[in-house]
Amino acid sequence: MASDVTGIERLTDGRVPVEPGAIEDEFARIWQDTSGSDESSIRLRVLNFVGVGLTPAALDRYERVMEALPERHPCRGIMAMTSPGETAVTAAISAHCWRSGSGSRHVCSEEVLLVAPPGQERALASAVLALLVPELPVAMWLVGDAGLDHPIVAELIGAAERAFIDSAGAADPRAVMRSVLRAQQAHDVQICDLAWCRLGSWRGLVAQFFDGADGARELARLRSIDIVCGGQRPGSEALLMAGWLVSRLGLSLADVSVTAGGIAATLYDGTRGVSLSVSASGEEGLPLSQVRLRTEGASFLVELHEASGHMHVREEWPDAPVRRTVAQQPCDDASVFTEALDDPDDPKIFLASLRSALRLLGDEGVTGSPGSRS
Amino acid sequence: MTATAAAATNPLREGLHLPRTPDACAVVVFGATGDLTARKLMPALYNLARGRTMPGGFSIVGFARRDWTDEQFRAAMKKALTEFSREPLEEELWDSFARRLHYVSSNFDDVEGYRRLGDRLDKQDEAHGAAGNRLFYLATPPTAYADIAQRLGEAGLSRGGDNGGWARLVVEKPFGRDLASARELDHRLGLVFRERQIFRIDHYLGKETVQNIMVFRFGNGIFEPIWNRRYVDNVQVSVGETVGVEGRGAYYEEAGALRDMVQNHLLQVLALVAMEPIASFGGDAVRSEKAKVFHAIKPIEDIDRDTVRAQYGPGAILGQNVPGYREEAGVAPGSTTETYAALRLEIENWRWSGVPFYLRVGKRLPKRATEVAITFKTAPLQLFRQIGSDNTTPNLLVLRIQPDEGISLRFGAKVPGTRSDVRPVNMDFRYGTSFGVDAPEAYERLLLDAMLGDATLFTRWDGVEAAWELLGPVLAAWQQGASPLQTYDAGSWGPERAIELTERDGREWHRM
Repeated sequence: MASDVTGIERLTDGRVPVEPGAIEDEFARIWQDTSGSDESSIRLRVLNFVGVGLTPAALDRYERVMEALPERHPCRGIMAMTSPGETAVTAAISAHCWRSGSGSRHVCSEEVLLVAPPGQERALASAVLALLVPELPVAMWLVGDAGLDHPIVAELIGAAERAFIDSAGAADPRAVMRSVLRAQQAHDVQICDLAWCRLGSWRGLVAQFFDGADGARELARLRSIDIVCGGQRPGSEALLMAGWLVSRLGLSLADVSVTAGGIAATLYDGTRGVSLSVSASGEEGLPLSQVRLRTEGASFLVELHEASGHMHVREEWPDAPVRRTVAQQPCDDASVFTEALDDPDDPKIFLASLRSALRLLGDEGVTGSPGSRS
Repeated sequence: MTATAAAATNPLREGLHLPRTPDACAVVVFGATGDLTARKLMPALYNLARGRTMPGGFSIVGFARRDWTDEQFRAAMKKALTEFSREPLEEELWDSFARRLHYVSSNFDDVEGYRRLGDRLDKQDEAHGAAGNRLFYLATPPTAYADIAQRLGEAGLSRGGDNGGWARLVVEKPFGRDLASARELDHRLGLVFRERQIFRIDHYLGKETVQNIMVFRFGNGIFEPIWNRRYVDNVQVSVGETVGVEGRGAYYEEAGALRDMVQNHLLQVLALVAMEPIASFGGDAVRSEKAKVFHAIKPIEDIDRDTVRAQYGPGAILGQNVPGYREEAGVAPGSTTETYAALRLEIENWRWSGVPFYLRVGKRLPKRATEVAITFKTAPLQLFRQIGSDNTTPNLLVLRIQPDEGISLRFGAKVPGTRSDVRPVNMDFRYGTSFGVDAPEAYERLLLDAMLGDATLFTRWDGVEAAWELLGPVLAAWQQGASPLQTYDAGSWGPERAIELTERDGREWHRM
């Protein structure tokens, strides 16, 4: 989804400081003032979108999502932050609308910023819980460094249907993946990883190769999987892609070698060996640049062309190479959230992929075989 | 194949929300230099390819009389996409798409042309791994349909390629111009293609809001229990167009509103509103239920009483003076072709017996709108009349198909104050404000379904036949002078007799 914010109209002059206990009254006043104008407006709320952050950068990131997300998922946004500069829970609110093509105001959303000093997570959480719109689902996003182990998460996670993290760029992907598994076991909530969500178009294109009869036949003759990503070592996207292929294809791990620059593994499905390579190119930029599957009779490649942002898809059959170019799914936070909220992923597939990725990293603490198709 | 079945054969499919990719195939467009190809088909195919739903081994072959090369065809299609594509044309994506475009120049009845087409398709099967799968799209004048099908059969192209592939035929409306010609066309197509190979397209069925009729009815628990004769007073399906014949006078002279809109679009929408719930989307469930509705529609016995036909005269639309129909290019000065039609129908089954269904369609009406309006019966006791409130406005549910797609529900609410006055208010749902993104074009959905072999949103022969059986006698009676042709001013809501059609029942047309 393009982040078209040109039609945005702010109903408040930036964030308006307000007493936490007076937030609902202040919103009521804003909407009453709005309804008195000549223009029509509709306040829609289909979601509570709660952000949790620790830094101004996290707040900026959340704000960018809130500038685009409510266009498709009108919501009450609540950003909860801890900041050493505060002495008590403070609040500020803002409201904005999107103009329709005809120019009339049409969809309006509201946003609350709550800030508390470290140590007052319980008070902060109580303010968040009081502001949730009843009967609407709650999506919680742990922005930036706010991980699943943060104290406020324990206070809030019980109210959420889905909790989003982003393991991309994590210094230690393995630690983040483990925290996901721990949280998933401890809480009745669906943990979602934006890094996994960004793989949607990759997974779709790879799956397409094998929809037809010829493709299905070749999939049974798989010989190797090569995944290439940017950076100095494989990041979570590349690991999750590998984990997805290993788990969906029911491959078990025979041998693995983890080096600084990548992973080389031998997989086995009982009748055939499949080699797996996950390698970092050392170049900055792309978290995932290439996925190639080779079978006995053909080769299948999905490649991201960074300059154009398009994806190149290639099937190499002995007598008929097939190439095409398709548009890449937008990967900015707002677009990824929009897609993820539209089409909730199957958590079983994600968790199986994550477990397989951990096994590839040599994590023996993970239960279940890497290739178990749970 | 369903998504579940696809996942069963392709383990990588499980959990993915992307539509299933069709088998590698060649789409052959007959009439490739025409308006439909430029405005609808090519943009739909480009956007499917752009959006990752076209198979790797797809190709498109234009087939038309014009003496073009592949390059000329590509240039024309690029121009068309620049003008009509929902998504902007991107050079790199276009380059990838254009490599799949080919052209065969031939008359539609030239055997040699079909032989060259066959050779071309065989080469593409080799080049793109298309496995002999072919989708033939008839975007030609209807008079060419039967001949094209016959030639395809003679050239051995109606049964897919040598590799055991499939062949499907997509037929645009109109499917015949009366019952006899429809049966003749069906017979001639049937000599070459089996019913399961024939996809009769009605682009209304590809519209999101038309598909939403089923979601609204069967995906919610609160509406279906009141969707019957006990609670519904009447149903209206209305299509208003502000445009005239738009330079298509010669075509419209042969068609008229009843053939052009009622026989297909309006009756299809009516069937979706009136049909019984389905248990699954498997097989032909939807089409079978729709066919039951068509067969339950009571034949119109009193054509004078239950049908209205009219033609627009000069008038004004949106502040612009516009000519009357008989002054349009290509229209005979003494034309009796109707540009407006209204019908009163009854469905004789347990659910709908006694509930009138009013259909109307007209050109040069004040507003462009397509709506289904369901008026509910009033409350059994007019309680608030006893204390001075005389509002008896019934509940009204409006499914807006275009423009401004959405649903509104009218109900009574208390006017704030010390009295118990009741005033009707509207609760509005609009697609634009709740979903905020453009829906794919109807042709994208329908082309993808045809490539996947899913005929749910296409019209089956028994539905077409039943529609002609219903409307054939009306056309014949009109031909004999029944329900005499009325005139209405362009920019008005139609003739006086249309108003009488509902007023006679103590009802009125919903204001669009």
